[in-house]
Amino acid sequence: MAGQQSVKKFRRTRGQVYDNCAYAMIFPAYFVFTIFILVPIGVVFYYSITNFNLYSKPEIVGALNYVNLIKDADFLISVQNTLFYTIFTLFPQLALGLLAAVLLYRKSRLLPVFRTAFYLPNVMSMVCISMVWLWIYDPTFGVLNMLLKTFGFSTKQWLQDPDMAMFCVILMSIWKSCGYSMVIFLSGLTSIPDSLYEAASLDGANPFRKFLHITWPMLRPTTFFLLVTGIVNSFSVFEQVNIMTGGGPLKMTTTIVHQIYRRGFLEFKMGYASAMSVVLLAFSVLVTVFVFKYGSKGQDVDVS
Amino acid sequence: MKREKRNQIIWAVGMSLASFVMLIPVIMMFMTSMKTMEEIKSPVFRLFPASFSFQNYIDAMSNGIWPVYFRNSLMITGAAVLFSLLFNSIAGYAFARLSFRGAKIMFLFLMMGLMMPPQVTMLPTFLIMAKFPLMGGNDIFGSGGTGLVNTYAGLVIPLVSGSYGVFLCKQFYENFPRSLDEAAMIDGAGKWRTYFTIYLPNSKAILATLGLLKAVSVWNDYMWPLVMTNSETMKTVQLALTMFKTDSGVMWNQMMAAAVLVALPMFVLFLCAQKYFIQGIVTSGLK
Repeated sequence: MAGQQSVKKFRRTRGQVYDNCAYAMIFPAYFVFTIFILVPIGVVFYYSITNFNLYSKPEIVGALNYVNLIKDADFLISVQNTLFYTIFTLFPQLALGLLAAVLLYRKSRLLPVFRTAFYLPNVMSMVCISMVWLWIYDPTFGVLNMLLKTFGFSTKQWLQDPDMAMFCVILMSIWKSCGYSMVIFLSGLTSIPDSLYEAASLDGANPFRKFLHITWPMLRPTTFFLLVTGIVNSFSVFEQVNIMTGGGPLKMTTTIVHQIYRRGFLEFKMGYASAMSVVLLAFSVLVTVFVFKYGSKGQDVDVS
Repeated sequence: MKREKRNQIIWAVGMSLASFVMLIPVIMMFMTSMKTMEEIKSPVFRLFPASFSFQNYIDAMSNGIWPVYFRNSLMITGAAVLFSLLFNSIAGYAFARLSFRGAKIMFLFLMMGLMMPPQVTMLPTFLIMAKFPLMGGNDIFGSGGTGLVNTYAGLVIPLVSGSYGVFLCKQFYENFPRSLDEAAMIDGAGKWRTYFTIYLPNSKAILATLGLLKAVSVWNDYMWPLVMTNSETMKTVQLALTMFKTDSGVMWNQMMAAAVLVALPMFVLFLCAQKYFIQGIVTSGLK
């Protein structure tokens, strides 16, 4: 809405110093942003206090949806699963990405080749990757069980096993996304001046100490950026879950967005699903604010 | 000198191994797509198929109307990339170079979009699409028809505005030399002309980056088409790919063949444009 109001305001008080054509320039992007991001945020808050179910007129029911959410065992387990997924995907993925970047960073003509290899899974769709890993994890024909059998171990049920399903999803997600972290970390590494390392070498620092005292602190803004975007992404995990397990077995892999999808688009409980969306939004904003506040520790850290 | 050379070789071998490990699932996808079901079911695992045959590809593509799925994905990706690049870069230019009232607060508002999972607004966005006035049999109040659900417009429009795109373009344009603007102004060019004749032609790197990111994300998107389409003729390739997952008797070889075909366009795009892609990430200050 801000865009349209500003356009009106400018027409009333035409100033000479301002570039008024700017409003026309930002209009397309801002209009779409307003209609499909800003307005929906308002709408989702409104629906979350109604009993809207797509066919009837929405009636305001107050906090009823939120009260039901707390009692909804499926939703509670989905929150737990989402947090579990976030912690066990994000940190290993960042660590692997950093490790790969530090190992790869070297002046060589081979660097682009290796970088491409690491990044390739990231340009594949989650659907493609899920299909490939469905086969890898398949209990009868899958390659994992075949290898286990070949070496004389007992086979596993993988995605059908309630205790293992989430780990299977997590392993696949780490594999897909660590290449992204690596590319971002690599570009962060290139911006560290060589003189720092040279000075450290003169002081007799070993590679580990160099990493600890130069690389790691200098990569802080990069890590911070990856952490914030990674949290938001992990909180909204859905595709691999819906495709590979459908939330099962025994609801062990259902996630918040999966619950929103089920309640909203399969059961048409739009009001109830909106309340879940609000909770997801609250989680994302809270964690982002928390990371911003404590992650930067008073340093001058730019999000970029 | 000798030691350095040896280190270099150890590094190359080690990294080749690591890259190979990373690529194992991709390699297996290619290999399995050429195997017969007997080979897949046989208890002995072999990486390579007995014979390289493309029969699975032909069979997979005859399962459903794949030319239509590919056309849908191509149209949606093309339109989303084209419009988002134009809209984001021109907005980025305005935020980077022009002074206007409310610029700061409007930019901050736009950046809120970065912190928010898109799934939060999925539900209301769908409802707005379904109730879009005067579209798809809807009256002016947005009732009666299906709105933009199941249309290209419905699939594309929410994707053309990206907070990230505007942000990256703004960063990129801020690094342009101011003297360019001044030279243009002296020559009597207005802001629009400055943008179209100086800024736009010089932003290949950032546009390639953004275009690639957008193309990959739209082509690979699963959730929004899942929600927005409900007919066979509007399916995208990603939705079609999930059809191969059935409860029993999955044709793994055909599934992998279809997966290869769906992934291939993005592989090619990435390999061709990766110079711009990496360059763009670095120049836009994403470090």
